Amino acid sequence: MSEVQEATNQLLDGNLHGNQRSIQVTESGSRSESEHLQVTIGATVPTGFEQTAADEVREKLGSSCKISKDRGKIYFDISVESLAQVHCLRSVDNLFVVVKEFKDYQFKETKEEVLKDFEELAGKLPWSEPLKVWKVNTSFKKKKTKRKKINQNSSKEKIDNGQGDRADERDDTKGFTNKTLGSHILDYYENPAIKEEISTLVGDDLASCKDEADEGSKEDTPEVLKFRVTCNRAGEKHCFSSNEAARDFGGAVQDYFKWKADMTNFDVEVLLNIHDNEIVVGIALTEESLHRRNITHFGPTTLRSTLAYGMLRLCAPQPTDIIVDPMCGTGAIPIEGATEWSNCYHIAGDNNPLAVNRAANNISSLLTKSQMKEGKVPWGLPIDAVQWDSCHLPLRTGSVDIIVTDMPFGKRMGSKKRNWNLYPACLREMSRVCRPGTGRAVLLTQDKKCFTKALSGMGHVWRKVHTVWVNIGGLHAAVYLLKRTPQAFVHPVEHDGERAPW
Amino acid sequence: MKLLTHNLLSSHVRGVGPRGFPLRLQATEVRINPVEFNPEFVARMIPKVEWAALLEAADTLHLVEVPKEPIEGYEHDEKFLKKMHHVLLEVDVLEGTLQCPESGRLFPISRGIPNMLLSDEETET
Repeated sequence: MSEVQEATNQLLDGNLHGNQRSIQVTESGSRSESEHLQVTIGATVPTGFEQTAADEVREKLGSSCKISKDRGKIYFDISVESLAQVHCLRSVDNLFVVVKEFKDYQFKETKEEVLKDFEELAGKLPWSEPLKVWKVNTSFKKKKTKRKKINQNSSKEKIDNGQGDRADERDDTKGFTNKTLGSHILDYYENPAIKEEISTLVGDDLASCKDEADEGSKEDTPEVLKFRVTCNRAGEKHCFSSNEAARDFGGAVQDYFKWKADMTNFDVEVLLNIHDNEIVVGIALTEESLHRRNITHFGPTTLRSTLAYGMLRLCAPQPTDIIVDPMCGTGAIPIEGATEWSNCYHIAGDNNPLAVNRAANNISSLLTKSQMKEGKVPWGLPIDAVQWDSCHLPLRTGSVDIIVTDMPFGKRMGSKKRNWNLYPACLREMSRVCRPGTGRAVLLTQDKKCFTKALSGMGHVWRKVHTVWVNIGGLHAAVYLLKRTPQAFVHPVEHDGERAPW
Repeated sequence: MKLLTHNLLSSHVRGVGPRGFPLRLQATEVRINPVEFNPEFVARMIPKVEWAALLEAADTLHLVEVPKEPIEGYEHDEKFLKKMHHVLLEVDVLEGTLQCPESGRLFPISRGIPNMLLSDEETET
C-alpha cells in the first residue's frame, strides 16, 4: 500500500470511530434519561414488620432498605424499569416516590413562620423526576383499573351462580384475553366498595375552590391535573396541625403547578410526612391500600394481607411444609400463603360455618383472578378449608409443619374471659399436631397477658423465639414466633374418661 | 376436600385415639381441578404421606391405580409423580362423608368443606 493510501485509511478509520463514538454517546445519553433513572421509593408497611419487608425488597428487587425512625416506613432505591416489580411486593401497604427528604428540618418558632416556610418550600422542590415516575406508574394503574372492573363483574357472577359452568368460564376467558393488555402487573386491587379511609387534609378553602371548579367544567382538559395533599404529622414539639400544613403547602403547590385541588378524584396525591424533625415529601404511587388485596368477602375482623404475609415470612416456610391456620376467619393468612408459597400446602380451618364459607369464597375468587390474569385454564391452588374446633383438631399428631394464626383478641371477637380457657387449650392442641423439632408457630394476639400465662406452662413443647410488636387498628398486639421442641407430645394420663391417648 | 387433606385428617371422638385414622371416605360428588405440576413438591411430599390411607381413598374414588407403595427411584419417575400429583392435589371431593373407623361417627363433606365439629358430649372435656 502506498503511503498516501495508508494515511487515507487511517484518517477514515479515525473518522469512523469518531462518529461511532459520538453516536454511542448520544444513544446512551437518551437511554440513561428514561431507563436508568434512579429513584427513592418509600413504602408503608405494618409496624413491626419493617425488617421483614426489607428482606422481601432485598430478595425481590436486590435493593437494600433504609428503615425509617418513623415507624412503619422503609425506603429503597430502584431504577424506573423495576417499578412494575415494586408493585408485586407483598409486605407493603402503600408506595410513594420520594420528592425530597429532610433529615433534620429546622422549624421556625411561630406557626405563621412555619406555615410560610411550607408555602415557600413547594416551589423549591425537585419535582420533575418524581413526576416522571408518577407518570410511568399511572400507565400501570390504567391497565389495572380496567381489569379490576372486569374481575368484579365476573367474580360477582361466579358467586351468584354458585360453582359456575366450566364452559362459561372458558368463554369468558377467551373474551378477556382479547381485552387484557399484556401486563406484567398482578391485579391486587379489591372490591372498591370496601374503601380504606385515607387521612384527609386539604383545607376548607381549597375544598370550596374545588366545588366551584367541578360545577364549572364537567369535562376536564387532560393537561390540568387534579391533586390533593395528605399530611401525616407525628411529634410533640410542633406548633401546627397537619390540616394547616396540608392546606398551606397544598395552596402553594396549586399555585406552582396550576393544578386543581380535588379531594376524591385526584390524579396526583402529594404526601407530606412529618415525624419530629424528619420531613419526607412524596407522591403516592398506590391508590387504595394494597393490604386488602386477596379478600373479596370480608368478615368482622379480617386481617391485612400485608400482615398475613409478614407473619408467614417470619416462619420461613420450606417447600412442602404443611401450613395450618386453625382459626382462619375469612382465610386471609392461608390465602396469602397459597399465593406466595405455592410449594407448600395450606389448610384453613375455623369452627364458625360463616367464616369457613367466606374463606372458601375467597379462595374461589382468587382462582377467578388468576384465571383472568393468565387468560388460560385456572390452576387450582394448594389450599383446602375445613370446619373444626381449634381445641380439638382433627389432625394426626405431629403432622403439621407450621401453624400461623390470628388469635381472638377478646375485643371484637370472643371475650377476655373466654380466652383464659381457649388459649391454653389451643396451645396444647397446637403442640400436639405440630411436628416436634422442626415445627413452628406464629401467633398474633392482643391478649398478651393471657397468652404469656398460657405459654408459661408449656416450656417442654414450645420455645418462644421472637416477638414482634404490632399495631392492629389502634390496639397494641404482638406476634409471637414459637419453635416446637423436639419432645414428642405426651398425653395427659387418662382418668375419668377424659382425654384419651392418641 | 383434596386427598392430601384427607391424609392428614383424623377422628377426635373421645376414646378413639390413633384408631381414628384413616377416615373412611365416601363421595357422592367429585370434581377434578387441574393444579400446576411441581415434581419436586410431589417427590418431597411422598415420604410425608400415609400411604395405606391414600391407597384406600384413591380406591374408593376409583381413581387411577395407585401402587401398593412408592416404587423405588420414584423421585425421578415423572409418570409416577404425575399420577401421584393428580391423586393428591387435583381430586376434590365436593359432597360426601368421612367416617370414623372406630366409632362409626359420620362427618359430612359439603361444598368441598368437611365438617369435623363434634358435640360437647362427644369430645373429651
